[in-house]
Amino acid sequence: MSRTRSLPAPKPSKLKQISADKILYLMLLPAILFYVIFHIWPIYEMKLAFYDYRIIGDDIFVGFKYFKELFSTPIFTKVIVNTLIISAMKMFLLFPIPILFALALNEFMNGAFRKTVQVVSYLPHFLSWVVIAGVWYEFLSPSTGAINEIIKFFGFQPHDFLTDKSSIRWVLVASEAWRSMGWDSIIYLAAIIGINPALYEAARVDGASRWHIMTRIVLPHLLIPMVTIFILNIGFIMNAGLDQILNFTNDSIASHIDIIDTFVYRMGLLNGQYSLATAANLFKSLIGVILVLSTHFLSKKMTGKGAW
Amino acid sequence: MVGRKFTLPKLAIGIALTLLTLMMFIPVINIFARAFSNPDKLHELTGLGVIPKGFSLINFQVVLSNPIVGQAIGNSLFITVVGTCFSLFFTTITAYVLTRKNLVGKTPIMIFLIIIMIFEPGYVQEYFVMKDLHLLDSLWSMVMYRMINVFYLVIMMRFIEDIPESLMEAARIDGAGHMRVFVRIVLPLSRIPLLTIGMFYAIAKWNEFFKSSIFLSSPNKTVLQVLLRQFVVERDTSTLVGISDLLKNSSIAQLDFNSLKAATIVVAMVPILMLYPIILKYYTSGVMEGGVKE
Repeated sequence: MSRTRSLPAPKPSKLKQISADKILYLMLLPAILFYVIFHIWPIYEMKLAFYDYRIIGDDIFVGFKYFKELFSTPIFTKVIVNTLIISAMKMFLLFPIPILFALALNEFMNGAFRKTVQVVSYLPHFLSWVVIAGVWYEFLSPSTGAINEIIKFFGFQPHDFLTDKSSIRWVLVASEAWRSMGWDSIIYLAAIIGINPALYEAARVDGASRWHIMTRIVLPHLLIPMVTIFILNIGFIMNAGLDQILNFTNDSIASHIDIIDTFVYRMGLLNGQYSLATAANLFKSLIGVILVLSTHFLSKKMTGKGAW
Repeated sequence: MVGRKFTLPKLAIGIALTLLTLMMFIPVINIFARAFSNPDKLHELTGLGVIPKGFSLINFQVVLSNPIVGQAIGNSLFITVVGTCFSLFFTTITAYVLTRKNLVGKTPIMIFLIIIMIFEPGYVQEYFVMKDLHLLDSLWSMVMYRMINVFYLVIMMRFIEDIPESLMEAARIDGAGHMRVFVRIVLPLSRIPLLTIGMFYAIAKWNEFFKSSIFLSSPNKTVLQVLLRQFVVERDTSTLVGISDLLKNSSIAQLDFNSLKAATIVVAMVPILMLYPIILKYYTSGVMEGGVKE
């Protein structure tokens, strides 16, 4: 008896636990199978970037041939630059908007006005890019659109923003703002609501002005979500918004908003240059993973909050 | 934090917010007005108009009687309803397993999930995998695509962790197996997270456009978003109007392509507008109330 008790216990008990939980693993099986088949398998198949694609027989290993080809084509360089420009425009220009929106909304207590603003501004987040494009095509239409109505009212010439190379990226930024401003402000609004009301009381007793309350109490409470969101956004800089661009593109401006994702789509699924497209995709994914991981740890270190 | 008294800065902020809200409201309502306008009076409707000019349902009659549109709506509904049920069931059951204490191998599974979350498969490879599984041109490809979202899985785990352990322990002592505990205790107690996450899944499934356009290529498998893109971005007028309707409908001559497009956009928005109140009620109610007392 005493001898059995002194035996090293962990190993058998672990096995026992597993066999006792058989049914649990069975319940987990569909999820694991799903991820392996629909996620891990295609990731594994991305090795095609190092092979020549063959319809019949085995693919031929060619090393970095397709990466060399990629970086010697001027289009790919342009596509990377486009991706970074569009992402950076969105990242910097869209960052302050939800914060200002939350601060503005916070000036209004419960009531019909606040609710109306919220109900209207959260909705676009749930519309598909196809629907948003449909709405915006009408909105920006040179003949009947609201924006050009206003431009004409002030005596200027109507302008077709959607086919103009100098304005199309701004259309992407503006429509993204239109879609996400309200929804993205929720996290800041929640942070504001979480502020202890006693702080306001104390500030008021000390005779603080509205401006002081905002800069000394509200803004410091928004600092952590601000830093977290900004850092984590850097992790997604390789994603300039494929769905959006596919719905705002047209022949006049396509080259101006041609990003890595559209390049992969065009080369791979339309032109059948599978290996080249996969090389581009792998390049994008690897940079993405490095960025997401490093921004996660950076954010965790700075604010205690990471991407997961 | 807010003064009830009227001040000049507050007025300025109020005006700014009102203008912003109108900028979000008018383009959407303008589409509705266009779709419901009488084609004869459409020329009176400006881009800033929010009231239909002479109410008419003719645009919807034409769009909804177009068999191609009908088929696409059916396909989208199938993917959304079946896909959401599958997603919800497997997300919840996985979350239940991963929240069990003493589960051997939980850490490697969580690391596996993080890898899944940060490493996206390539588009070409996803296409080939669907092809190898013979799921191309089958609506099931879109039911399976992104079936279990890791973010929602983690959210679901947080909810299940909040269910009192004693409830489940009691059932286990009474001899109930894990499956029984899951169906009888966890599912009924997770009604609100199921509703919330289900709605996010449903919206994502309904709105999915890029992968649907790749996986479902034949015309009778097209989903509504892909068809709508054909109308909006590619300006495909002949499919939209439908040849049969051209002969059948005498008033077709006066129909305006943009109005038919607007009607299709409205149709694509209907499910979202139906689910939107649930989002407001269960997801954003915390920030809707304002919260802070004077």
